[in-house]
Amino acid sequence: MAGQNCWRCLYRPSQRLLLAPLSTSASTPTSAAFSTSASLFARAAEPIRHTRSGKRLVLGKKKKVQDKTKPPLPGERKAFRKRIQLSNDNALEVPGLDVLSPENAVDPESIGKIVGIPAEVVDQLRACEAFKSSQNWSLFRSPHMLVRKETVDLASQMTSAIANKETLRLVVTGSRGSGKSILGLQALATGFMNNWVVINIPEGQELTTAATEYSTIPNSEMFSQPVYAVKLMQAMHQTSHHVLSQHKVMLDHLQLPISVTRNMTLAALLNATKEPEFAFPVFQAFWKELLLPGRPPILFALDGLAHIMRVSEYRSPAFELIHSHDLALVRMFADALGGKTAFANGAVVLGVASRGNAPIIPSMEKAIAQASAAQKGEEIPARDPFFRKYDERVFEALRGVKVLDVQGVSKTEARALMEYWAASGILRSRVDERNVSEKWTMAGGGVVAEMERVIMHDLRAAL
Amino acid sequence: MVSLPSTERANFNERKLVKKALETFYGLGPQASARIMAKYTIHPQARLGTIPAKTITSLTAELSNMTIENDARRIVQENIKRLRDMGTYRGRRHAMGLPVRGQRTRNQIETAKKLNTLERGGSGSRY
Repeated sequence: MAGQNCWRCLYRPSQRLLLAPLSTSASTPTSAAFSTSASLFARAAEPIRHTRSGKRLVLGKKKKVQDKTKPPLPGERKAFRKRIQLSNDNALEVPGLDVLSPENAVDPESIGKIVGIPAEVVDQLRACEAFKSSQNWSLFRSPHMLVRKETVDLASQMTSAIANKETLRLVVTGSRGSGKSILGLQALATGFMNNWVVINIPEGQELTTAATEYSTIPNSEMFSQPVYAVKLMQAMHQTSHHVLSQHKVMLDHLQLPISVTRNMTLAALLNATKEPEFAFPVFQAFWKELLLPGRPPILFALDGLAHIMRVSEYRSPAFELIHSHDLALVRMFADALGGKTAFANGAVVLGVASRGNAPIIPSMEKAIAQASAAQKGEEIPARDPFFRKYDERVFEALRGVKVLDVQGVSKTEARALMEYWAASGILRSRVDERNVSEKWTMAGGGVVAEMERVIMHDLRAAL
Repeated sequence: MVSLPSTERANFNERKLVKKALETFYGLGPQASARIMAKYTIHPQARLGTIPAKTITSLTAELSNMTIENDARRIVQENIKRLRDMGTYRGRRHAMGLPVRGQRTRNQIETAKKLNTLERGGSGSRY
């Protein structure tokens, strides 16, 4: 325990307590002196004034107390804001729950069950930033998830596509707080457990809001993001090391600035450079290697799809705004999602259209509506003939994708969730038919974030 | 400590934003600094410590080719001098430190008193 540090504002009063108290003027001698003339001379500094001689303005009586506490180091506040806390000792441990496994994820019998995440998968998910700090992982003793109908649906679609060496291109949409990002996390967990190569871009907006370095790619009109590429490669190296170290580099990469030896494994290729200058060519080389036959299947996931379907905030050297599909990393994902990339070993390209801070992109909404209608076999909604700003590139990137619409959970699933919350000690009321039904209805038909909000409302009201 | 050409300040702290560092020069504002940064593909949130030395050198070269600092001040002062030498109304207003653009002088002419001088920009002044 780090003293009395305030966990909300990084204030460190323990620093203050270490300061010596301000000493008052040492006019009184601490030891008995032979003579008192020393103290008399000291006191005679203030001239003796008559009681009626009036008031005088004395400035500077109070000394301003200087703040000698140490401010947080650069980067500390950001790390604190973005910290992921997955366990809380104040919550009760819930015994007797299953652990997520490759069989569990595709079994329809496990719909409505709460499963734990295995420890290695938790580490992998943490390394690829799948957990978000806005989610409520820190309320529970250990990370557990609800297996929904959509989870089993998604997992079985993914595994069957990979088994047939096809490419599954899927967009997860739904209303706000319905559990799309968690579904994305479950997909990543499935990918890790099945030993696929997982590439996760946790926030699409990090790529398009001009927050990271960018540079031109010579001989092309695209731009690379080298520092982000380094981060991505390091994350992939950490999470998929055991899968990638079993495959060796097969192509000759003569144009790379680093030396690629014959016996280099793919994992070593990822770790080959941390220099931003060489990072993107290495990543492109790795991508080419991964598309060769005989490699493990790929799961390419991106959260925050709306951000990559618009013009970014970067400017080209000619001061024109750059479309996000001209950023090379985003282009890789858009091509994969639109079916232009040929994956030889089966792949899943997953885009989660999360609503947090998401811009409204009419082209994307229209494209997803069309894809959804095509999937259901209904009449495809036509584009608005009077709207001029449709973006063709967005339609190309979303051509022929499958759509998974995530709305509320069913009442059985809601009940399982509430029983888990009650067993963890967060929900204090009874979990019976009426209560579940009430919370389910209050949450707009089982939207999970709204259910959590309703429960917390009860909790705060009870306190 | 990153060094860009500057008369008063020799060096900038490496944690300073590139945009802010560029805008400290007389004659560069938000538009000009955005264009310079786009030319060298520096993103708006970049700090001076993160851009490579080669880019800093090219930025320095770029800045030395632009009219900033004393060159820009001289242009402004010459314009005001020309107005005064011609004997125009505007020139007289600059000389007297009163508003030039037809504002009323009944009250609140603080900005005019501060800025409308013959030595506009001075040497080292911000405006």
